[in-house]
Amino acid sequence: MTKKYDAIIIGAGVIGSPIAYELCKMGYKTLNVDKLPDAGEGSTAGSCAIVRAHYSTADGVAMAYEGFKYWLDWENYLDHAEDEKGLAKYMNTGSLLLKSEGHDWKKVQANYDEVGVKYEEWDNETIKAKVPPIDLHKFWPVRRPEDPAFYDEPTEMLEGGIFCAEGGYVNDPALSAHNIMRAAEAKGGTFMFNAEVVEIRSENGKVLGITLKDGTQIDAPVVVNAGGPHSFKITKMAEGVWEGCNIKTKALRHEVMHCPSPDGYDYLNDGYHMSDGDIGCYVRPEVGNMFLIGSEDPDCDPQEWVDPDEFYAGKGGHGKDNQLTDEQWKAQCYRLGKRIPELKVPNQSKGVCDLYDCSDDWIPVYDKTDLGGFYLAVGTSGNQYKNAPVVGRMMAELIDACEKGLDHDNEPFQFTYKYTGRTMDVGFFSRKREINYNSSFSVNG
Amino acid sequence: MDMKIYVCVKHVPDSAANIAVKDGNTIDDKISFLLNPYDEHAVTEAAALKKHLGRGEVIAISLGTEDVEKTLRSAMAMGADRSILVKTDRQRDSIFTARALKAAIDQDGSPAIIFTGRESIDMEGMQTMFRLGAAFGFPVASNVIKFTPEKNSATVESQTEGGGKNIYHLSMPCVLGVGRGINTPSYPTFPDVVKARKKEVKTIDVKDLNITPSPSSMSVISLEPFAQERRAREITGTPAEQVQTLVNILRNEAKVLN
Repeated sequence: MTKKYDAIIIGAGVIGSPIAYELCKMGYKTLNVDKLPDAGEGSTAGSCAIVRAHYSTADGVAMAYEGFKYWLDWENYLDHAEDEKGLAKYMNTGSLLLKSEGHDWKKVQANYDEVGVKYEEWDNETIKAKVPPIDLHKFWPVRRPEDPAFYDEPTEMLEGGIFCAEGGYVNDPALSAHNIMRAAEAKGGTFMFNAEVVEIRSENGKVLGITLKDGTQIDAPVVVNAGGPHSFKITKMAEGVWEGCNIKTKALRHEVMHCPSPDGYDYLNDGYHMSDGDIGCYVRPEVGNMFLIGSEDPDCDPQEWVDPDEFYAGKGGHGKDNQLTDEQWKAQCYRLGKRIPELKVPNQSKGVCDLYDCSDDWIPVYDKTDLGGFYLAVGTSGNQYKNAPVVGRMMAELIDACEKGLDHDNEPFQFTYKYTGRTMDVGFFSRKREINYNSSFSVNG
Repeated sequence: MDMKIYVCVKHVPDSAANIAVKDGNTIDDKISFLLNPYDEHAVTEAAALKKHLGRGEVIAISLGTEDVEKTLRSAMAMGADRSILVKTDRQRDSIFTARALKAAIDQDGSPAIIFTGRESIDMEGMQTMFRLGAAFGFPVASNVIKFTPEKNSATVESQTEGGGKNIYHLSMPCVLGVGRGINTPSYPTFPDVVKARKKEVKTIDVKDLNITPSPSSMSVISLEPFAQERRAREITGTPAEQVQTLVNILRNEAKVLN
C-alpha cells in the first residue's frame, strides 16, 4: 500500500530537519527521506557551523542575526525534546571581521547599522591585545603558494576590524540536525533513512509523491527538495522545475583544514571566529586547540564542480575526490601562517573535504516551483548553516501560504522574524530572480 | 671542518590519500606525496643535535625523482640547512638505495652521524639503514626512542616489539633509525617555509655517482591495495549490557582482550 503524508522533505540535514519540525508544529504529517543512515550525516556534518552576522546584503545580515536567537535558546527551540545523543552546543566566541580589500566591510557595517547588529570597531592595537600571536600586515592580494609573489615581504598594515560579540560556532553540526529530528519526531514527524529518491512523480502540473530506489512509492501533495549537494539532481527529477529556475545549483568541492594552534596560545578558549578576506580565510577554534581554516574562495583558487555521487564514492582523482590535497592544505595553512606566524604546519594534511550546494549567485533559493506542491530549499552555498532554524520556519510558512492559494511569484510572501520582528520579502530568494550582484559570490554570502 | 649531520629522507604517499596502483607494481603518483612521517622525527632529532652542540650542519638527502625536491624543502623547513637530491627515474631497491646514498654522502663530506626514520611507510622494508651502516662500516640502532650524544659515542634506547627497551652504546659515526617516541616533530611555521625556499638543493644524477652494480637485487612484482572492510554496528541495551557486549567483541572478535 502506498503511504501518504502531508509533506515529504527530501533530506534530513540541517535544512531539511527544521522544515519538517516547523511543518509538524503547524499540523502537517511529515516524512523526511535521506539516503544516508542518520540525520545530519551528509554535508551538514562537514559544515564549519559558524554563526556570524556579516553578510553582504542587509537581508542576509538580518536572517543571520535572527538565527542567533535560536542557537542561544536551543533547548527552548527544540521544545525540550530529548536526544539520546545529547544536545549540540553553541559556542559564543565573538566574531572578528578584519577590514581588508578582500571584504566589502563598509557594506557589512552599513548592513549592521540598518539591522541593528551590535558591534565594536577595533584598531590594530586592540586586535593585537586580544589576539597576541596575530600579525596585522596587509598581505593582499590573495595568492597561491605556487606563485613566487606569495612570499613577498608585506609593507603595509591592515586598518583594524569590526568585532561582534555575538558570534561563534556550533560544536557538532551533525548533532544539531539530529536534535531537530528528535524535536520533529516529538511533534509527529517521521524520518526514513538509507532511502534514495529516484523519481518525483507528478500529474497535471501537480506533484504526487516520490519513488525510492527499491520501488517504494510514497505520496504527498507537498514535496520539498532539501537535498544539499544532491539538490540539483533532485530538482531535475521534478517535471519542468529545472527549466523554470533562473538560478540553478551545483555541487562545489571545498576543503577545510585543521591545524594546531601555536604553543602557548589557547585558541580554543581565548580565540575568536575571524573572517580574513586579506588572506582569503576564515577560522574558528576546534577541539584539541586547533585552528579550523576555511577558504573564502579567492579567485586564484581552483573551483571543482563535481558529481556528488562520484565525489562521496571517492572517485574523480586528485583534487576532485573527497580527499584533501597537499596543494590546498599548503594554500590555506600558509595563508593563515602569514597572519599567525607562530602557526606550525604539519606536513600531512588534516581536515574535511566536502561539498557546497552552491547557487549561481551564492545566495540560496527558498521558493515554490513551477510544479505545484514542489518546493526548493537549496543552494545554501556553505553559508546557511547558521540560518537553518529560521529557514525551517520561513519555508514552513511559505509552503503553508502557497498551499492555501498564495501566488508567491507575483505577490511574494512576507515572513516576519519571530525575535527581531523584521519582515523579510521571501521573493529575495526566488528561483526566478536575476543574479544578485550585491552578493560576495563566496561562502560569505 | 664543521660537523656534518646527515638525515636520509624518503618521499612517500600520503597515508590518507586514495591510493591507486599503476602498472600493477607502483603507487600512482597523482596523489599527494610527503616527507615520510618517521623521517620527520629524524630531521627534528638532527636539528636538535645541532642546537645542542651549538655547531654543525644538517644535510637532508634523498634518492628519487625531481618531485622529491618538495620533500627535501619540507625537511629544510623543519631544520635541515641544505639538501642533496640523488636523481633517479625509477624505483630502486634498498641495496641500490644504500649504495647511492653512501656515494652521495662520500662525495659531499664526512658524516659525524646519520639519522633515518625507522622505516618508510610505503615499503616498510627496514633495510636501508642497515645496508647504509654496513657500507660505511658504522654501527646501526633501529627504532631509537632516546638519543644521548657523548664525546665520540652515543647512548641510545631502542624500543623492541612488545614494549621492551634495549640500551646501546655506539661509537660515532653511527646510523640511527629513529622511532616515533624520540621527539615531537618540529613542524615549520610560515617564516620557516620562506627560509627553506632559499636553502640549497644540490641535485646529483645517480648515473654520475658511478655506483658499483650489485650482483643481487630485489624488485616489486605486484602491488595490491588492501581493501579494509568496515562495518558499523549499533550496540544497544542498558549501559551495563552495552559494556558487556563491547567486552565480548573486544575479546572474541577483535581478540585484543584476554
